[in-house]
Amino acid sequence: MVIWWYVVGGVVIIAGIFLMYYNRFVSLINQIENSLAQIDVQLKRRADLIPNLMESVKGYMKHEKSIVTEVTNARKLLVGAKGLNNRVKANEKLEGALGRLFAIAENYPNLKANETFVQLQQELSATEDKVAYSRQYYNDGIMSYNMSRRTIPGKWFASMYGFGEQKYLEISESERKTPKVKFD
Amino acid sequence: MVERISFYDQISKNKRNSILLFGIVGALLIALIYSIAKAFSGLDSFIILIFAIIITTIYSLISYYSSDSIALMSVGAVKANPTLYRQYYSIVEGLTLASGLPMPQLYIMNNPQINAFATGRDPKHAVICVTTGALEKLNKQELEGVLAHEMSHIANYDIRFMTLTAILVGMISIVAQIFLRSLWFRNNDSDNNKAGAIFLIIGIILAVLAPIVTSLVQLAISRKREYTADATAVKFTRSPTGLINALTKIKSNSEMKVSGSVAPLFLAKPNKAAELFSTHPDINTRIEVLRKM
Repeated sequence: MVIWWYVVGGVVIIAGIFLMYYNRFVSLINQIENSLAQIDVQLKRRADLIPNLMESVKGYMKHEKSIVTEVTNARKLLVGAKGLNNRVKANEKLEGALGRLFAIAENYPNLKANETFVQLQQELSATEDKVAYSRQYYNDGIMSYNMSRRTIPGKWFASMYGFGEQKYLEISESERKTPKVKFD
Repeated sequence: MVERISFYDQISKNKRNSILLFGIVGALLIALIYSIAKAFSGLDSFIILIFAIIITTIYSLISYYSSDSIALMSVGAVKANPTLYRQYYSIVEGLTLASGLPMPQLYIMNNPQINAFATGRDPKHAVICVTTGALEKLNKQELEGVLAHEMSHIANYDIRFMTLTAILVGMISIVAQIFLRSLWFRNNDSDNNKAGAIFLIIGIILAVLAPIVTSLVQLAISRKREYTADATAVKFTRSPTGLINALTKIKSNSEMKVSGSVAPLFLAKPNKAAELFSTHPDINTRIEVLRKM
């Protein structure tokens, strides 16, 4: 009769392990989805700051139409982009445009003295950091998940439960290059 | 060529070593209890142990749950105003994104030296406190490195870990104390057998040495967790530069008067002590390790 207790115990332990791995994968996926939403939160903050920035710049940079248009268009692209990869690419375009805008603003001492402009510039810089951090965290989550998926015994459970491989967020070529400034 | 080390490896190595050291403390406790049980008759040793466990647990639970308010009160910290200290809040917010932790409460303490500490029993109840000196003397990158180090303590549950260690070490101390004192009152009938006498001697040796050894081990654990926090800070910021520069500035700039129980929580050791008896590793070694990442 005693042997049955061992069998039951063994089954319970094995079932527990199956359950544990399933929950682990679910938990990792949840974390990834959450961090994805976080990236969107930061991107939205960036997009929301742009209109005010354009307002403060308008009076001073009347003759810099091309860069103003570029930033406004980049923002439109960001707000309208569908899917994380597209949104991140749009943000990279926006970052490039903003870099050029701030470089050109160096020629306008009145603008640089404007408190609103300076504050917005700092906030945009801060959100840039935050977008970077949330992307980093997202990629870290993907790394943990892929690691669980590729090691043993996670490997077997993952294929059994159908948890597919997740892709990292890539940096596009344009972001690796520094912004070129044209002095008109 | 300097050999590069990855911060991931650094984190896991130090965590592993701190757990091994913790195991040593646990093993010593068990050895002490075992020899006492063997040396005494059943009831006496039972009483000693129950007493020790009760005292230690109550004391530790009280200090664990109020660790944050005690630490803050003892240094006169005040909550940081979000509008006045924008950069402070902004940096920590970025770190919460990098770490996935909830936003801790932020405090300031008035002191010209550069230092900071983190406390709180888990990430949901976490608190970070920096000196006004740190906010004035460090640039953004350096401040970020320091705050990342503090967030790392929270992320690694170091407060909880060190409290557990303190509980075990405290228990060993109390058990040893009670055991040694009770030797005067033993009745001599119970040790007529040789085995009892041998365990008595072992028990005495352990009771005298264990508290000292485990205190040293506790300090070693604290040092390992500091290295772990440094490496985790690099994991959050992906660059050791900020923390390296901050530590360099701190090198001669961190001595403060704080009580012994709060001292281990700080970024850099506030009291002077030799390496073996110190809660923090030597700053130069820390900088060297960081440079390799």
